[in-house]
Amino acid sequence: MTLYVLRRLAIGLVLAVLVTFITYLLLSPSFDDIVVSKLGPTGATPEAVAAVKTDLGLDRPIVVQYLDWLGGVLHGDFGISYFTSQPVGDAVASRLAVTLSIVLVALAISVVVSVTLGVLAAYRGGAVDRIVQSVSLIGHLVPSLLIAIAFVYIFAVKLGWLPATGYTPLSEDPVGWLKSITIPVIALVIGGIANLSAQIRGAMIDELHKDYVRTLRTRGIGTRSIVLKHVLRNAAGPALTVLSLEFLTMLGGALIIESVFALPGYGQFAFTSSLQGDIPVIMGITLFGTLLVVGVNLLTDLVNGWLNPKARVL
Amino acid sequence: MLTQSSRRRQLSRRLTAVLGASAVLATAACTGGSDSSGGSSSDGGTGASDATIALSIQAQPASLDPSLLQEGQQGYIWGSIFDTLLYLDNDGQVQPNAAESWEYSEDLKTLTLTLREGMTFTTGDPVTAEAARATLERTRTTAGPLQSRLESVTSVEAPDDRTVVIGLDAPDAGLLIALATGAGVIGDPATFDAPETALDPVGSGAYELDDAATSVGSTYVLKRRDDYWNVDAYPFETVTVRVIADATAQFNALLGGQLDAGRINPDQEQQASGAGFTVSDLIPTASATLLLLDRDGAIVPAMADVRVRQAINLALDREGFSTALLQGNAQPTEQFFSPQGPAYVEDLAGTYDFDPDRARDLMAEAGYADGFSMTLPSTVFSTTFEPTVTQALGDIGIDVTWEPQPPQSNLASIQSGKYPAAFWFEGLDPAPRQVQGHYTTDATINPFHTDFSEIEGLLADAASTTDEDQQRDAYQQIGTIAVEEALDAPIAYVGTRWATADGVEYLQNGANVFSTIRAFGVSS
Repeated sequence: MTLYVLRRLAIGLVLAVLVTFITYLLLSPSFDDIVVSKLGPTGATPEAVAAVKTDLGLDRPIVVQYLDWLGGVLHGDFGISYFTSQPVGDAVASRLAVTLSIVLVALAISVVVSVTLGVLAAYRGGAVDRIVQSVSLIGHLVPSLLIAIAFVYIFAVKLGWLPATGYTPLSEDPVGWLKSITIPVIALVIGGIANLSAQIRGAMIDELHKDYVRTLRTRGIGTRSIVLKHVLRNAAGPALTVLSLEFLTMLGGALIIESVFALPGYGQFAFTSSLQGDIPVIMGITLFGTLLVVGVNLLTDLVNGWLNPKARVL
Repeated sequence: MLTQSSRRRQLSRRLTAVLGASAVLATAACTGGSDSSGGSSSDGGTGASDATIALSIQAQPASLDPSLLQEGQQGYIWGSIFDTLLYLDNDGQVQPNAAESWEYSEDLKTLTLTLREGMTFTTGDPVTAEAARATLERTRTTAGPLQSRLESVTSVEAPDDRTVVIGLDAPDAGLLIALATGAGVIGDPATFDAPETALDPVGSGAYELDDAATSVGSTYVLKRRDDYWNVDAYPFETVTVRVIADATAQFNALLGGQLDAGRINPDQEQQASGAGFTVSDLIPTASATLLLLDRDGAIVPAMADVRVRQAINLALDREGFSTALLQGNAQPTEQFFSPQGPAYVEDLAGTYDFDPDRARDLMAEAGYADGFSMTLPSTVFSTTFEPTVTQALGDIGIDVTWEPQPPQSNLASIQSGKYPAAFWFEGLDPAPRQVQGHYTTDATINPFHTDFSEIEGLLADAASTTDEDQQRDAYQQIGTIAVEEALDAPIAYVGTRWATADGVEYLQNGANVFSTIRAFGVSS
């Protein structure tokens, strides 16, 4: 198992190097334009552009520039933003903390609610099933953003119970933190529940019709035990895969949520930096993003293997 | 409640009235005043109080290194941290600031500034002429957004603790404005190379960053320095500047009480007023312009013919643009320069009223009855306007193709020399800056290096006199040339309306377009 984990991590690192190198190559034709943009309409004289390019090392061969960046990363130096002068490592970490604190809470709520709804729908069937399916369908159909905007208007603008925008760190003020993430989390949870509950319901129904369930029943094992200890465990595999995808979708979807609620998060940061062509930031975001995807997929595989020995790779 | 059209008429009258009284830019001054207040009565300083203000900017500030500052909304932050040598008041007039007086030599090639006494950096060190000299010297030799502002400077000396002497290669009409804005800040030389300078610099301004309350990239909290020499000009004890990119989020923050002042759209005006906010008139800050770059016809020969450029101007329905595409946040114009500046020529209003028939006649006269084709850069600025521009120019036979540009290439595409024209929002800077940026042979936005020697001569005339009437005449001639020669095709002045909460007042009227916390005052 350790060897498997190490091998997956090594593959992840190779993937990160490849992805970041390709990203650097794709950015390279725009280097001049990025420097012009950095200098602004009046500052971008040919002399100034040349001087800044030299200062930033953008006049060197691409491979040398990339290896220089990679060498810095290996020493914990992710560079400095061209546009804001903020150290990239600090900036990405602080932005990621905002996004993760919203996404992880949203994911946890989605899991709890979805498992409850999915299990109830699959086991009880009938009206409960139809209600859960309706909830899932509505969750898919109604743009969660629309609901979030309505919530902002009601709870922030009209009632003043919650802040309309902004983020309060948990370490600063736990109550303020909770207030600042409430509406964004609701916006993310709606889509999450819609996806996950449908997936869990389907997987549970499949499992409930399998022979081992009948066997367990004939042995006199209680329904609750069968559903929660056996069926749910076996149904968790596909749900976990959807969960990992949901996590990555929420990270991507956070861009819009962050924009609407003016949250200083990862998605907004990635978007702005990409528009500007802030090379060090784009590289840092690409690296962290790749490692995050690799890490989540690895974690999913490991949890899957723990839940279901048949799914273990090694 | 005024309708949009009546409001526009009102604005038009206001702009016209203001023009009549508009102050000729302070480049005119041979000698500066020496009042110790460092500000005019139109500015917010009604005495230091314990009031607070929260407002927003749309993007995280660039570096706060004094030599790398960017002039835009982030001026609310760095303009509070740093003192500038001079100061541009809310009427657009240059006033004494850290320099209590200034004096030009007879030939206007040497400027001597005298610093006031008793100024200190936040470290407690005194502000000396050497600090001002070192900052100016560093800015003019550091490639950055401000370097070109000091292009005419050949030397900076500090003969004593209070005197700064700036040598110029030629009289510079924009120098005093430069010293009143980003290029005129005074940094602490001891911290120039410190890593934290870019994010948390040492300055001698009215405020300092509250590190504990500031979250870089999202919230900047500025605390007023009680030992500041001009503390009465800054009524707000605490200034909070939040980064909010989305306009709707900003409006929600305003309505939700998180901001005390914010820019709003016309469709938000009623809601803002209903919520108790005071809404300002439209304040022009930029002009939406179709830049006609290839005036020599280097890649599109037709563009060299003034009749073709005039035809393009006549083909644009400016009222339609302003109402439909700019959502009423606009005032139609065919002039490139600020309506409150000296280069705006009132008599030229209406020169290019929408007249496609006349435009087609001019195209025919120029030998282009069958039209021609041109490719323009499609940028984030132009996207909304492309179909309308395409249709308007198509109606007079000009076939326009838009070539998509990545966002980081917006400016570079305009400067590239690959496109004969481009859609652009031009900030309504003081006239010398706009002229230097567009209508000089080596201007950064003159990619085909069109020979503008006539305009350059007029700019030199304005720079080499201290007579305000002569300066005004020179700028008026430049404004006239720009319109009559159809150097560009301006469409409308665009601007903002400010909504302010109880207790806060917005004081600017468009004469000064720079973002400064002194644009806000405490209302009774």
